[in-house]
Amino acid sequence: MIVAQLTQEQVEQLQGVEFAPDSFFNPILDANGNYIISIEEQEQCDIQWVKDLPRIEYLPKETTNLL
Amino acid sequence: MKIGSTAIINCKIGSVQVNEVRIGSILVWSFSSFDPDAQAFITAAGITDPIQQNAINQLVLDLKGYSIWTKMKALYPFVGGTATTHKFNLKNPLDANAAFRLSFLGGWTHSSTGALPNGTNGYANTFFSPSANSLEYNDNHLSYYSRTNATSIYDIGGGENTGLKNLGLYLRRIGNVAGYDSGNYITNRNTFPNSDSKGFYNGNVISSSSKYFKNGTNQFTKALTFSDITALSVYVGAFNEDNIPSYYSSKEVSFISIGDGLSDTEASNFYTAVQLFNTSLSRQV
Repeated sequence: MIVAQLTQEQVEQLQGVEFAPDSFFNPILDANGNYIISIEEQEQCDIQWVKDLPRIEYLPKETTNLL
Repeated sequence: MKIGSTAIINCKIGSVQVNEVRIGSILVWSFSSFDPDAQAFITAAGITDPIQQNAINQLVLDLKGYSIWTKMKALYPFVGGTATTHKFNLKNPLDANAAFRLSFLGGWTHSSTGALPNGTNGYANTFFSPSANSLEYNDNHLSYYSRTNATSIYDIGGGENTGLKNLGLYLRRIGNVAGYDSGNYITNRNTFPNSDSKGFYNGNVISSSSKYFKNGTNQFTKALTFSDITALSVYVGAFNEDNIPSYYSSKEVSFISIGDGLSDTEASNFYTAVQLFNTSLSRQV
């Protein structure tokens, strides 16, 4: 799966921000410590620098399924 | 519109139905043939499609007819095809966290068939705390209508590792098993083998007897032991693990409910009503 990569400073700029009506950004960390957002967020938003973010292959963090 | 403190529900002049009242060109009142709760949702969500309006109205009438409307604390019918229409709680269609209006975060695809989380970072916060809203480990239900066959660790719920307090559903984990947690997930998990996660799933407890229904049929019954239930908000498309969205899901959802426990007959009727609702919208599975 392809996602868009951000810096920590860019993550802070997107906290609590709507990327489309009633839809909010949710940056997360991947397995390599990269901050990422989804292609849906990148494509649906009107923020040019978000649209210009580089794309990388998503590597999910391993989850320890305690539950 | 009100005359004094009396709301105008219907208005006739002689035997002639008055459909609307205007002051000049401004519409101040219009007649609705819909149930008032259905009409409130239709108005709040801005649903203009007559098929969708009638589907919502029939759903409300059916739930009331089966005497299960009052057992629902939050209902999400996912009608209208956008995040803005999907966010509203049919039981209290106000645009407020306190009304359990959904807040969508991360990647979702909204369409006429429902809301599809991307399985990477998409989830929705219901702002519904089970313990704060009088749900108990031995009296609650949680339902999820899935249009997708896929595995995930959870599809809806929340919980606290301290005290092992959960309320959550998973429809199909790796290994082909479905599960429903009501309170302590070690002692109170109800599971059944499941290789297809499409359908209507209803985890339900009444009188400490946990039953996990798929398409209106109980798959397994488990006697529960005393447990606290979580205070954390229920998440959709992920699990709220100690206030962190975890275990993202990729199952398209067409209906969700959270509420009190239902009897076997009520659970069966609930499936009938929800399946009719989704069939009327041509999105049943």
